[in-house]
Amino acid sequence: MTELGAAQIVEAIADAAGRWREADFPARVRATRAVMERSGYTEPVVAYALDRLFGAITKTALCATIVGELGSLEALDGFVARPGRPDARYAGLELVTIISSDTTIGVAIPPLVFAACAKSNVVVKDRSDDLVAAFVETLAAERPELGAAISVERWQGHDDPRAAERLASSDAVVVFGGPAALRAIRKRCRADARFVAFGHRTSVGYIARESLNDAGARRACAAAAARDVLLYDGEGCLSLHVLFLERGGPSEPSTYSRSLIDALDAEALSFPSASEQPAPATAAVRDAARFRQAQGIGDLYPGFTGPHLLVFDQPRELPPPLSPRTLAVYEVDGPADALAFVRRHALPLEAFALCGADRPDVLAAAVASGATRIARLGTLQAPVLTGEHGGVGRILPFVRAISKDR
Amino acid sequence: MAASALELDDAFLAMAADWRGGGGGCDEAAFDAHARALFAYQVRHNEPYARYAAACGFSAAKPPRSWREIPAVPASAFKDATLATFDVARAELEFHTSGTTDVVAGKHFVERAALYDVSLAAGFDRFVVPERTGLRFLNFVPSPRRQPHSSLGYMVGYVSVLCGDGRAGYFADGAALDVAGFTSALDDAIDAAQAVCVVGTAFALLALLAALETAKRCFAAPAGSRLMETGGFKGRTRVVPRDELYRRLESALGIPQASIVAEYGMTELLSQYYDLPESRSSTLRIKTAPPWLRTLVVDSAGAVLAAGEIGFLRHVDLANRSSVVAVLTEDRGYATQGGIVLVGRELDAPPRGCSLDAEDLLALRD
Repeated sequence: MTELGAAQIVEAIADAAGRWREADFPARVRATRAVMERSGYTEPVVAYALDRLFGAITKTALCATIVGELGSLEALDGFVARPGRPDARYAGLELVTIISSDTTIGVAIPPLVFAACAKSNVVVKDRSDDLVAAFVETLAAERPELGAAISVERWQGHDDPRAAERLASSDAVVVFGGPAALRAIRKRCRADARFVAFGHRTSVGYIARESLNDAGARRACAAAAARDVLLYDGEGCLSLHVLFLERGGPSEPSTYSRSLIDALDAEALSFPSASEQPAPATAAVRDAARFRQAQGIGDLYPGFTGPHLLVFDQPRELPPPLSPRTLAVYEVDGPADALAFVRRHALPLEAFALCGADRPDVLAAAVASGATRIARLGTLQAPVLTGEHGGVGRILPFVRAISKDR
Repeated sequence: MAASALELDDAFLAMAADWRGGGGGCDEAAFDAHARALFAYQVRHNEPYARYAAACGFSAAKPPRSWREIPAVPASAFKDATLATFDVARAELEFHTSGTTDVVAGKHFVERAALYDVSLAAGFDRFVVPERTGLRFLNFVPSPRRQPHSSLGYMVGYVSVLCGDGRAGYFADGAALDVAGFTSALDDAIDAAQAVCVVGTAFALLALLAALETAKRCFAAPAGSRLMETGGFKGRTRVVPRDELYRRLESALGIPQASIVAEYGMTELLSQYYDLPESRSSTLRIKTAPPWLRTLVVDSAGAVLAAGEIGFLRHVDLANRSSVVAVLTEDRGYATQGGIVLVGRELDAPPRGCSLDAEDLLALRD
């Protein structure tokens, strides 16, 4: 790996990703079927996921990210001068292990490509669909050196002897998973290893009153929110689960909720559920909301075109429903109300989505909410590669900075 | 003319006494008539339920045609409204659902304690201690004196008195277990050849096993001893398969697996399910209940499923005169010959995505 320059690695990765952007690329066709079989997501959802994943891995994006975090691409190949500071070089950590969760599509690939750019040796625990293995094969075809430095493995749980060996010898471990998995894996890592955990999180949105001033904006906002709710069946950390609607605008929240359910109905035609029945957790949310509705507490709108659900203004003392294809809408007087709700339920936020122009008080609430990304409604599920992930850099976790006095 | 509370209670108590005495209790027709009479009574005296029933298309004027149509409130409704047919200031019992301090607890008010006492005593007698011997109860559940609003504590306290030898012990205080107190009490019982009944939640029993296994201690409980697992894993994923839990309990305590009974109940119901005796030696445990507790398995649209199909459990409990007769749960299972089989989340489709769910939220708070 060290024989290759960073620019050559970036080029090879971007070229490999380019092949995967082609819908008819045989490896992608096979992987699409395998991911659908494993995950149960419909074809439009898997196609969207792969388009988004490989569409983001471009030479421009990789270079911009590396330059943004390390100052230059050349710093990965040799010492570079830095004004007012010692010269610096970034050496890749010897071994990076990436443990992909069993429940997502391709999340291991972005850290994999940045660890490869850092010239680290990489081990990835893959899932039954072999998506990562298939992409690494394409990389190896571009540059055999990349194939030699990346090993894709299958383990039988964290107690697999190979897993134990890998975890104990890794300089950095990237893990995707729930609280129990993160705790179990952290225990098996070297004491001084970098542990980059991407735990289960959720995302919320906020629609300020002035965002709904005209009918076009109202429709666009609703469609954007609907997409963020339904993609991946609302099971991603970037899925919109909670939407705060500000009172006092031209469209009152209770009225606007009806526009939202219409938008959900429309969006469900593009991203349908594999099942006609709601998930058990969603059915339970619906039943509880139906009882409250009969008591005059809140409202509910079951989907017409699929098993999605919108619940409106449920009691604030209850945590929000975090069930699949479910959007909980709360009317608020301002961002402080929204922030109080997030804090009351200690919601670990991945993203806080906004609609329309930035308003300083809403932006401040988004920052204070603990979210690691502030996004535009409708783009929650399409994070750019050039942004940080989960509050940490893309390549920084995989490099050791070496400063050299002049 | 609509039945009064007294008439309904008398009819229920007679039904329970008949069954406890070896009679049939109630057949399908009697169950149906009593359930519909309870519905008629409850929509007159329980306003939140009447509102919900109306939203479901039923009222006193338009009653369900059979017990299967009676609208069932979701169990969570006990958190959202006071579901009582009487002034709760007169409640003889008040049970709270478990919940963390920042989450609202549901409350189940019971107008007459006799309704609960008779129902649970009849079921416990039949399914746990048919010979009604004086067992020594060693309980890993909250003492009813320390947690007066725990239905589990009340239940265990009641049967400990009813079927016990007068020397019941409580070895759980919140999440803390008094393992030393338990082992001492069990040693005493073994010395006296006194059969015991160990009662505990699955979580508590697992913690007990861990402590005993660390201390390398195991016991040979006297003949006739038994164990009742209750409370399950409280809606969380079962962390240890049931067969393994029971096998380890048998090894640690010397209580045969066939003498281990799982009880399935909930704060919102006054009657309970127990493992069918004939199924206790099998890997497939079937739950059975007194005839006044019947269960429909429904899909997420509310349609009744055929035997063998997995769905949500909708219970109709004739002991629930003073609250709501029909309760829909998030528990899942399927109907089979002789009762129902509960299924855990391990049979669900595996979760997908990286989204937080309710279980994660609890785990993070832990």
